[in-house]
Amino acid sequence: MTDKLNIGRRRLMGSSALGAAGWIAGGGGWLLRPEKAYAADPIKMGIATDITGAIAPSGNANWQVAQFTVEQINKAGGIGGRQIELYLEDTASDPKIAVGNVRKLIQERKVNVVLGGITSAMRQAIKDPIVNRGRTLYIYPQLYEGQECTKFLYCTGPTPAQQCDKLIPYLIKTVGKKRFAMPSANYVWPQLLKWPQLLNKYARKVIETNGGEVVFEEYYPLDQAEYSATIGKIRDGKVDCVFNTVIPPGLQPFVKQLYESGFQKNGGVLSCVYYDENLLNYHPAQEMEGLYSCLDYFQSINDPFSKQLQADYMKKFPDTKYLFTAGSAATGMYRGIKFYEAAVKKTNGDLSREAVGAAMDSAKIDQGPGGGAEMVPGKMHCKMNMYIAQCKVDAGKTRYDVIESDKMVDPKEC
Amino acid sequence: MGIEVKLAFDLLAFISVMVLIVLGLGIIASMMGIFNFAHGEFVLLGAYTVYIFESSGLSAWAGILAAPIVLAIVGLVLERLIIRRFYAVPIIAMLGTYAIGLVIREIVRGLLGGHYKSISEPLPGVFTLFGVDFSAWRAVIVLTTICIIAATWLFLSRTSVGLQVRGSLENPNLARACGISTTRLYALTFAFGAALAGLAGALIVPLYQLSADIGTRFLVQAFLSVMLGGVGTFEGPVLGAAAVGGMAAGLPWLVIPVLADPLVFVIALLIVKFRPQGFITQGRL
Repeated sequence: MTDKLNIGRRRLMGSSALGAAGWIAGGGGWLLRPEKAYAADPIKMGIATDITGAIAPSGNANWQVAQFTVEQINKAGGIGGRQIELYLEDTASDPKIAVGNVRKLIQERKVNVVLGGITSAMRQAIKDPIVNRGRTLYIYPQLYEGQECTKFLYCTGPTPAQQCDKLIPYLIKTVGKKRFAMPSANYVWPQLLKWPQLLNKYARKVIETNGGEVVFEEYYPLDQAEYSATIGKIRDGKVDCVFNTVIPPGLQPFVKQLYESGFQKNGGVLSCVYYDENLLNYHPAQEMEGLYSCLDYFQSINDPFSKQLQADYMKKFPDTKYLFTAGSAATGMYRGIKFYEAAVKKTNGDLSREAVGAAMDSAKIDQGPGGGAEMVPGKMHCKMNMYIAQCKVDAGKTRYDVIESDKMVDPKEC
Repeated sequence: MGIEVKLAFDLLAFISVMVLIVLGLGIIASMMGIFNFAHGEFVLLGAYTVYIFESSGLSAWAGILAAPIVLAIVGLVLERLIIRRFYAVPIIAMLGTYAIGLVIREIVRGLLGGHYKSISEPLPGVFTLFGVDFSAWRAVIVLTTICIIAATWLFLSRTSVGLQVRGSLENPNLARACGISTTRLYALTFAFGAALAGLAGALIVPLYQLSADIGTRFLVQAFLSVMLGGVGTFEGPVLGAAAVGGMAAGLPWLVIPVLADPLVFVIALLIVKFRPQGFITQGRL
């Protein structure tokens, strides 16, 4: 079957993700059919994610998790006896390209639901073709800055409240750090992508209510290579906790200079709420030691279901470069598909947007990476378990030790 | 006091990084009149060589030594196959080298799967001098840069090959009439510039991380340095790189960092406006 594929650029970039057997040429898109033929009409699920471009590593992880989750559902008999067909369109890390490709999902493939989009710029670009003009349900899986309250758009990743409400009081009260610095990436898209700004705004509020102080909040070009001015400010301001939202590639030189300045050695603490297992590998181990993160899932969580999930994923994609972690929207993708499954079960197979939307509103899943989750009615966001973890280094290898966890944290959105 | 010394050292280290990157670009631009837009990717290939050595279990030091050799070969092959056809048409040369760079960059991106790879310093840790901690690897970079500048300058100004290179730059026809093979010289010069780029990439990659865009990040500032310093001399681009590097690292002390980046360009363009020939206008090597 694969020899009929019309491949090309996409194949070169995402070879390991798209190399799975069972592919059929789809006029520029990709289609994954269930293995056997079934009598009932299949449910069409569209995945719009970044298979190529700057954030291809996250997009491919997303796509692999979608295949993995759908395969599990299909093997267990599908949703109410109906199998799920997956349609993939590459959003190419570029909102301009994405809009056209997403329209294809809606108009040509006529999918029943779209999941995907990783950056907020991408979500903003594709939500209109999906939700408004396309009149289709949209599930956005990534942790993000909040404030997305569009009807029929469901967010399944953590919000600032979920990432900050537990972590910051912990840093202040338990670790005993009071003086915060907020170095951040300055995105260039006007208004569209304010993840660092909005996350900082929320974090600042939590820091100040808990008796901490923000010494400075500063924004840098995405690829800044030299940070001695910042390190100087951290020293002069007697900062003892860096709450970081700088992103790669600007992040690595910053963390290195921070480490070389002896910040951690002198008792300083680095925290980075989007950091997962994948991203630890972007730095030498010693620079990551002691880093605090707060996410909905870590691979070291002691939960039998999560462990089984992780093992099954690694069995389906052995030696993959794209891990099942919280930072790349992979956990939100799993949750989103399971929420949709739960909702369609409740409507008894009615796939109309209104019916599924109403069921989504109070949908609940008992198990998932890091535990179950439930939609907050009327809020389009979900409660989920959150974990504070710290990076430890053993013989040059990094891992996260989960320190504290909190059950069913409220997203506090909308 | 300690912190000021430390920060001055960081500044010096960043200037060294800029100079290392600009050196190869400046030599090719000055001696051959070719603006090599694939320079960033030569830097990338140097970094990638170290990564290959490290991931196959060999010493990173060996990778750093191999990088300039690998890049000299790559440069030589490219010059013979492609670049030599561009000497008469400098604008096409820019497009051509840009295309070469694009191909190299995207191949490496595919090989890395779009990820970043961390490469640890071959000489990790810090050393303490007068109670101040200095990064050992940054010190290696500063010292290597000084040595390379000195060696390159001696090579170009004191050896007979250097004299031939300068002669061919000054007047290629006369050089050929004197029995100097300019074809061979150009090939060697291009390979030399590529080797310097490879060495720069190998040395700086532990400070940043390996990603397909490591070279592109510095390329625009590198061209600015060459423009600022003046084409046609050896010292010009070096001085230009020092100025651009110093401004890029120093301006965030004075203005918010987001403004610092464009400000470097504004200042540099103003200088070029008043000194269109660059810093060094006469006294060629």
